[in-house]
Amino acid sequence: MCYPLITVPRHMVNDGKENVSSAEDGNLASLDGGRVGRRTFLKVTGAGAGAAALAGCTESISGGSSDGGIPDTVSFGALGPADLPMGDSILKSAKLAAKEINADGGIAGSDVEVLTKDTKDKPGTTRSAYQELTTGKNVDATLGIFGSENLLSVMGNIGQAKTPHLTAGAATPEAPKRVGEDYETNKYWFRVGPVNSVFLGESQIEFAKKKFKDMGWKKVAFLAEDYKWTEPITNVIKKRLESETDVEVTEVKRIAEGTEDFTPIYDELESSNIDGAYTALAHIGTTSLGQWAKQKRSFGYGGIHVPTQLPSFFKKTKGAAISTFSQSTATPTSEITDKTLPFTKAYANKYKGEYPIYTGYSAYDAVYMLKDAIESAKSVDGSTLVSELESISYTGTSGTIEFFGKDGRFPHDVKYGPDLVQGVYFQWQMEGKKGVQKVIYPNDLSNTDYQAPPWA
Amino acid sequence: MTSVVNVAINILLLGALYSLVAIGFTLIFGVGGVLNLAHGAIITVGAYSAYAVNMATGNVYLATFAAAAIAGAFSFAMYKGLIKKARHNPVTVLILTLVMGLVVEQVMMVSFGTQAVAVSSLVNGQTTIAGNGVQNNRIAVFVLSWLLIGALFYFVNKTKTGQAILATSMSEKGAALVGIESDSVYTYTWVLAGMLAGVAGVFLASFQMAAPFMGRTPLLLSFSIVVLGGLGSIRGSVIGAYLISFLDQITVSYVSTRLAGVSALVVLVVVLLVKPEGLFGRELAEE
Repeated sequence: MCYPLITVPRHMVNDGKENVSSAEDGNLASLDGGRVGRRTFLKVTGAGAGAAALAGCTESISGGSSDGGIPDTVSFGALGPADLPMGDSILKSAKLAAKEINADGGIAGSDVEVLTKDTKDKPGTTRSAYQELTTGKNVDATLGIFGSENLLSVMGNIGQAKTPHLTAGAATPEAPKRVGEDYETNKYWFRVGPVNSVFLGESQIEFAKKKFKDMGWKKVAFLAEDYKWTEPITNVIKKRLESETDVEVTEVKRIAEGTEDFTPIYDELESSNIDGAYTALAHIGTTSLGQWAKQKRSFGYGGIHVPTQLPSFFKKTKGAAISTFSQSTATPTSEITDKTLPFTKAYANKYKGEYPIYTGYSAYDAVYMLKDAIESAKSVDGSTLVSELESISYTGTSGTIEFFGKDGRFPHDVKYGPDLVQGVYFQWQMEGKKGVQKVIYPNDLSNTDYQAPPWA
Repeated sequence: MTSVVNVAINILLLGALYSLVAIGFTLIFGVGGVLNLAHGAIITVGAYSAYAVNMATGNVYLATFAAAAIAGAFSFAMYKGLIKKARHNPVTVLILTLVMGLVVEQVMMVSFGTQAVAVSSLVNGQTTIAGNGVQNNRIAVFVLSWLLIGALFYFVNKTKTGQAILATSMSEKGAALVGIESDSVYTYTWVLAGMLAGVAGVFLASFQMAAPFMGRTPLLLSFSIVVLGGLGSIRGSVIGAYLISFLDQITVSYVSTRLAGVSALVVLVVVLLVKPEGLFGRELAEE
């Protein structure tokens, strides 16, 4: 990136032989033998000029940022467990967004770079990765983090770093609660998606109201894994499913983390003649789904089921996923907004035919939201960006994203609703010999009806 | 409420699989005095070998043989390459097997990804037993597990090599005095245990799915079963497996699904405190 050459005070320019850190490593430039913060330096020089000369840029004029608040390279840190599809999708989507933005003129003329860090899905690693990005690399904002436990482990650090963080992946309502409890410290936290687990529960109620009748689900059992994220969902289901719908709920089961054999559980469900098992499963979802399919259980299966959201799941499970359904932020073929399909296509082009999963849509939107916020604030200052993000309304790949305000129901969390972010329910159905995720709800996006399992 | 017959069928079927899972662990401990913490990893190797061969050929029986062969070879290599040298230092052996277990998990994760993968059922379809539908695959697993356990009993009690294994488990010195070469006995035991674990891996994968960390629960289960039955006793392991299977099914069916898997741990602690030698102790072993 080159900037117009302007006069820089003599004492601030070196002879070009000194080692000057490039925009890539992003924090310090060696000046006059001393170390001056790059951002401080840029403020002094006004337009980020000089940096171009120092970096050996030979083009004299090629546009560039015209305000002092935006550095020549804006850097974002993306965090996620690289070995898990949920993390992989965060990192790849953020990179893709940055590439597109750079190809399209950058952020107010500045380049954007995304530094990725593997959290290993562990709170300790997440914290050190976060610190490395914010204090080591001095990034302007961070995004991502799959896993509620991991997110909660860095909430304190986000407050200390005073750097905006846009969560993509973790669903705990505990994070917005903390923003509400201590706004000044925690205001830097926002969530782009998925909607929090209280809303996930509400979404399941909504789906039951609208679809169960057509699906023939009159008698259901609710199966949730015994993890923190399913607690709010279980509460909502217990309180509202039976009272707000015509459905009979035979039982609400919380299933232990170590469960390997679902046979006795399914035997029981079958003996109470249920029409469907309504789920909130992630970690133990694959085992549960695999046994349901292999044992050809007489009831339908789905609800929120994270593994079945993976576009490659059908193939990996040799078709066991057939007829299972799940809520998700989006699917590769669902046209939630006019940005959804271009994104999934671009992703598939860049990553060898692979498709993003729910965390990816949010991470991609997060990068674009940061871009909009920085451009409109003309600054990367943390507090300024927070005010900017609080009032933003951005239509991204997952819907129209707006955050609750300081005194809202879930401060700084993404709002949930039909005209905002709602998500979709899809079902695995056969198309020729291939399994395809087809949207079955909401009706305006749906292209098919629910189908019972082929053996039921 | 689930019917009693249904629960009884589940106990019967699962107990056989648990026995097969634990028996390799028992063998290695009984004969070599080695607590093989990589036992779960050998099961994982078996499961993924079966997955790979199943994908390539579409034949699940071929996949089962491949799993036995590859897991056996892996176990053999582990004994010859690592354990043999450190055999007399239990702490080193414990660390080595633990590390191997972790390495296998990582390798599987990198090679096959974190997503679980499916292995075809051995037999398709369902049979109705006393009004309850039971998958034929589970019946096949039950029958094959018992055949393998029976064959193992026969091998250990009736063949020369088996008797040599038994003799070594009773007393290494005594066995050496009558001309049994302990190293080859250990090698046989490791290969045999590896093959059995490999087959258990295929059965587990066809019953559940194959995943990089799938070996952890079976390892824990083996521990509990073997401690309950008496470390090193094959007969004790089979009975231990059935007891754990019984407790597991009763807990999940009649108490709470939140307690799945806990019964094995409770048994482990209780037995260690109350009857540390287990139900059957170490048969015929020198004290």
